[in-house]
Amino acid sequence: MVLFIVIPACRESFFKKSDMDDAIIIGAGIGGLVCGCYLAKAGMKVLIAEQHYKPGGYCTSFKRNGFIFDAAAHSFGGYREDGIVRKVFEDLEIDKRVEITRFDPSDIIITPDYKVSFWTDLDETINDFQTAFPEESNNVKNFFNFLINPDTMFLARMRSWTFKNLIDKYFRNYKLKAILSFPIFGNGALPPSKISAFIGAKIFTEFLIDGGYYPVGGMQTLSNALAESFKEYGGELQLSSPVKKIKVINKEAKGVFIKNGEFIASKYVISSCDARQTFINLLGKKMVDQDFLNKLNHMIPSLSMFVLYLGMDKNFNPKQNIGSNIWYLPHYSIEKMYLAAANRNINNLSEYMVRISSDKKSILAFINTSCRNKIYWINNKNKLIESFITKLTQIIPDISKNIIFKDAATPYTLYRYTLNYRGAAYGWASTPSQLADPDFRKPSFIQGLYLTGHWSTQGLGIPGVTYLGYNTANLLIKKEKTKK
Amino acid sequence: MSTNNVEQEIISIISDVSGFDEEEIKPDTNFFQDLEIDSIKAIEITVAIEKKFKIQVRDKDVPNITTLKQAVELVNTLLTQKATA
Repeated sequence: MVLFIVIPACRESFFKKSDMDDAIIIGAGIGGLVCGCYLAKAGMKVLIAEQHYKPGGYCTSFKRNGFIFDAAAHSFGGYREDGIVRKVFEDLEIDKRVEITRFDPSDIIITPDYKVSFWTDLDETINDFQTAFPEESNNVKNFFNFLINPDTMFLARMRSWTFKNLIDKYFRNYKLKAILSFPIFGNGALPPSKISAFIGAKIFTEFLIDGGYYPVGGMQTLSNALAESFKEYGGELQLSSPVKKIKVINKEAKGVFIKNGEFIASKYVISSCDARQTFINLLGKKMVDQDFLNKLNHMIPSLSMFVLYLGMDKNFNPKQNIGSNIWYLPHYSIEKMYLAAANRNINNLSEYMVRISSDKKSILAFINTSCRNKIYWINNKNKLIESFITKLTQIIPDISKNIIFKDAATPYTLYRYTLNYRGAAYGWASTPSQLADPDFRKPSFIQGLYLTGHWSTQGLGIPGVTYLGYNTANLLIKKEKTKK
Repeated sequence: MSTNNVEQEIISIISDVSGFDEEEIKPDTNFFQDLEIDSIKAIEITVAIEKKFKIQVRDKDVPNITTLKQAVELVNTLLTQKATA
């Protein structure tokens, strides 16, 4: 075990303390925790109120029958030298609290004809793709060059492009296009014809080319470390503490009511929870601009997930790479896959991702799925667990012999623990028309209210929400400094 | 809407997105070099401008919005086109 000595951080002192909180953050997911850490570190008085009994949102782990499972997020990216997650973890001293390891390859895509991997060495990755598709050799090189040397303005110009527009610009081979689109589908729950090219490019740069990082001890250790840093910077974290209402006076957020009716006043309210909860339940329809309410009612959430958790016996000795995200692509139509996922039933299971833990004790596998309803999952959860295990034998033939524990999270489970609308895995669907809407960062009709996290239409996954948490905190810190 | 009002509205949008005080946003201030605007913030500014002025900014014009001056010119051109359409 590696022990780290954490030196208490010095808080900057340009903010004057008072009884009123400077900021209340609703939700202790990664976005909320990162935002809270920066604000508290800057000397602001910050409260994070989280409805769950543990911090992390989708970045949590749980224990069953002696096995530790990651609930949803199962690795992360953006940790290269100049990556956003690296910067934030260094700023917040998370790297001193948690040991980060990296699996190589981070991701492997297996199809009936090919096996290609995302290695930590990009040249090796490019070589894998070029070997599989020699006729597209130059295009592969050009595509990855574009991704690692992004032109800021070109990325901005791509705002109305879909990922299909982007890959059609580079490639001809439909099988290669499907292989490149598959992890985008897995990490964004949309097919190439629907997902924003900007978000698709970010999934490549932040999840795949620079992915495969893992905190020793499980994903919960990341969230716990952020919570510890937050508290050390002077922040207050209240768990099992759902916010019931955001108080608004004269179109300005003034604080929140928490579970026992207690009112906590604050200068800023930052919602890092589900957007519909924020506007419809916490603010209330009367407080929301009518045009915005119409827009909100037409916004499309991302699909949810069905996550399979398997505990394995001591004899489990897989030949597959441990710690890598292994993506199984049974055919080359991601569009059909999306339609099947959007109308998921237990008989239409085909593609999936599977990850064997580094100690070989557990397996996490998932598929994207529509939400369905609670009754559907009560009736079908166990059937889907069984059919999912049968599917896994395609790449881990003897898996059934070694399973000693099995369970799954349905969309309803994800909703129950995180309150994400319809168990959405990635906030709003990342279509071009739903990208970067300023009303989902700072609603123009309520002063003092900010949104962060994956419902703010600008990013998803751990790198995305880390960026958003950091960015939201910086906005407020700049604002406060200006007033001094 | 007068040019001054257009400029003030755009300053307000840029200030909201970048966090920089309105007084720091001058006509030739470069969004990327001076205001820490990145690609997603550039998109957010564009979307906010479209919403505020009820205009449609063409994708090819997005890279040309790198200063307040350029943004005001583009919005004024689009508002004129809209009025004469």
